[in-house]
Amino acid sequence: MGVISEFRKMGKNGSYHQTLIKDLKRINEKLQFLGALNESLTEGIPFTVKDNICVKGFEARAGSKILGGYVPPFNATAVERMLAKGFGFLGKTQMDEFGFGSFGINTQVQARNPFNPDKVAGGSSSGAAVATAVMKYHVAIAESTGGSISNPAAFCGVLGFTPTYGTVSRYGLIDYANSLDKIGIMGRSGDDIREVFDIIKGADRYDSTCVDTKVKGEGKKKLVVINQLMKGIDEEILSSFDSLLSQLGEMGYKVEHVSIDSITKAIPAYYIISMAEASTNLAKYTGYKYGLQRESFTEKYNAFFTGARAAFGTEAKRRIVLGTFVRSESVKDKYYTKALQFRTAITNKLGQILKDAFIISPTMPITAPDFEQAAKLTPLQTYAMDSLTIPPNLSGLPHISFPCDYKRRMPVGAQLITGHFNDYALLDFVSEWEKRFEYRFKYSLGAI
Amino acid sequence: MKIGLEVHVALPTKSKLFCSCSSISDEPNSAICPICMGFPGSKPMLNGAALSQAINVANALNCKISESTSFVRKVYFYPDLPKSYQITQTQGAIGGNGSVELESKRIGIRRIQLEEDPAKIVREENYTLIDFNRSGVPLVEIVTEPDISSEEELREFVFALKSILYYLGIDIEKELKVDLNISVAKERVEIKNVTGLRNLIDAARYEIKRQQELVAKKQKVESETRSYNEKAMRTESSREKESDEEYGFIYDPDLTSYSTKSASVQKPVYAGKIAREYGKKYGGAAKTILELIQFDKRSLELIDYAKAKWPMQNIINVVEVLKKYGHMDIPDEKFTRLIEIAKSGTPVNEQVLKQVIKGAAVETSNVGSTDIDKEIKAMIKANQKLLKEYDKNPKVFNFIIGEVAKKLKANPKDVSARLSSILEKI
Repeated sequence: MGVISEFRKMGKNGSYHQTLIKDLKRINEKLQFLGALNESLTEGIPFTVKDNICVKGFEARAGSKILGGYVPPFNATAVERMLAKGFGFLGKTQMDEFGFGSFGINTQVQARNPFNPDKVAGGSSSGAAVATAVMKYHVAIAESTGGSISNPAAFCGVLGFTPTYGTVSRYGLIDYANSLDKIGIMGRSGDDIREVFDIIKGADRYDSTCVDTKVKGEGKKKLVVINQLMKGIDEEILSSFDSLLSQLGEMGYKVEHVSIDSITKAIPAYYIISMAEASTNLAKYTGYKYGLQRESFTEKYNAFFTGARAAFGTEAKRRIVLGTFVRSESVKDKYYTKALQFRTAITNKLGQILKDAFIISPTMPITAPDFEQAAKLTPLQTYAMDSLTIPPNLSGLPHISFPCDYKRRMPVGAQLITGHFNDYALLDFVSEWEKRFEYRFKYSLGAI
Repeated sequence: MKIGLEVHVALPTKSKLFCSCSSISDEPNSAICPICMGFPGSKPMLNGAALSQAINVANALNCKISESTSFVRKVYFYPDLPKSYQITQTQGAIGGNGSVELESKRIGIRRIQLEEDPAKIVREENYTLIDFNRSGVPLVEIVTEPDISSEEELREFVFALKSILYYLGIDIEKELKVDLNISVAKERVEIKNVTGLRNLIDAARYEIKRQQELVAKKQKVESETRSYNEKAMRTESSREKESDEEYGFIYDPDLTSYSTKSASVQKPVYAGKIAREYGKKYGGAAKTILELIQFDKRSLELIDYAKAKWPMQNIINVVEVLKKYGHMDIPDEKFTRLIEIAKSGTPVNEQVLKQVIKGAAVETSNVGSTDIDKEIKAMIKANQKLLKEYDKNPKVFNFIIGEVAKKLKANPKDVSARLSSILEKI
């Protein structure tokens, strides 16, 4: 039974929430994973929301200085649907600026890993993973563009579910790359994620890319490992993964190794498309309508805009410059158009495999690194961290990261991918896995 | 000489292109929402009515209509553009490869696209204000081939276009922005953002003359972008090359592709063609007919109603009078009566119009060989006996009137008047 059902049975109100908020504030001093907090919450199953998803009346910075002070006048559809079902909005969770990062460090407030505060929580949904790892009765609404749910879920030892692109409305999501952005869920059990998914999915009159296609749960007994993705992975992760595969073998799954040469193109294709789209999305931040407000209006507008846009962080600036470049007329065919072609080719290839199999891999090539280590990586080394999470994200395929081992007291995650709109199969899989494997959590705030 | 246009016209939809805000509003910044203000987190949703109207424009301009249509982001920084990109169309445009038929020429239409209007900039002496009411209003952009070759043709084209759009319920004058491309010699000059019909013609006239004078002096025409200074009534160099423009178009991933199949397509009305056709078939000057019907649906209705039954010249006269005195809503039988009066030779003036509208009798003066006369004479000829009896039996009189009126669908009062005058002469 998931925590949602358990909580409902207990029917906690009033002082429960106030105590939880007090405890949260205390632990947040150490782990720094929270944004705006709903201090007046008195009822409902608590849920947190990644800071790039709008909640009416609460500041949404999306990890950026340039959005400081932006209080959306509307709820994201996913939030609206959660509130309508009686869930209680608890607060916003920290993230890399606009989702640009793998460690939660590309922002002013850097969330820390609950297993070891010297280590990063992952990214970009860093705060959502920490919130899930520290609270018992809670679910997190997060978002993934290239791995921003799987990655921190693996680093913090929780479940991170990214549904098929287009099943959950993006209305109210502050865009990173619209053709890749997916609102998803973090939780502590397959049952909880299923319940929340059923609430937030479904067509929305405010998002043209969101559809009502029926979600299936066709289980597969074949697990495919893609050889090219298994390169550059830490030894200890590989040993955890081997042990996972043999346990799954005992559960009746058959493992098959396949080679897909084109899969290595997924990283450049992803970064080209996501940066091209991001550079158009970030164009709107010009310092006079919302968020950061410039005080002087005496400059010419170009100088004025430039002044406002100085507030972007380094990674955001890098992506604006690269994204603007790859879509410029003289090189567009060479980069942007080609990347779209690779996306289609890779999606078709993965689709064929997924007809009768799941694809399985570790989620991240390492366990959560120290802040110092993470900060030393070059942008290219950081982008390579996403090699396992990018393929399903690029292709809009549903995937879930689940804890499968612990190494040196840090969690190790594995990632399961299935075909479009077969999302329930992933949740069925983790429900089965949970019967065998016990997840460990260092904190369980709010537990009774 | 080659002239090509990019004409932007506002579509008369109730709501904006991508949100439900009203597209008509007075109070500045009153019809705005997170979507048309480009607030973070908001997403566009396509207004089906705007799509349908744009498809009708493409259809009326004889375009090949794409089976499905899609949108792109055109990125540039300007205070009137809330998202710093405009949602517009390129390859996935509504339609293209069309034409507008002029009296002696066909002007090619390269492309029809649907896009959102930026906000309105209000410049004051020491500051600038932005009114976002206009942000997101649907625009249709009509791109012509450079097929126009004189100021006269430009005028004819613009009025033909205005008329076609008028019959689709679109008022070109409500908001008109035109980019005007003129090359008298080889070099192309673009005059950007000319607003309103009058400025368009004035700007073209000025620019044609300017380029002609340069050519006559054997000087080079600079290939450049210019703007039109309304007050000074001249075009001025904007000091920028068109090749400098870099919009970095990418398809808009917030929108999908939209089928054009389900739109209900209206039959277009080509006033010029109708005027020429009616002139030939029913008489009357095509130019006069065109003047009446080009921007007046009711005139065309009245003419269509009467055209097969009465001489075109009489119809034209009556419609002109109706128009002048504001009685275009006249019922059919009174309209017919006015044409009869005109046809009888009595000039239809304000006085006559008032009488007919009131339902009072009107004396007609013409004694010529009208259809009524002919028919009466034929009746008399066929019934010589009746003629002898007519002064003894007044019923005979009524019988003739009845028969003639029925046959000609004429007004009995008129027949009666004609009959008396004929009988007096016998």
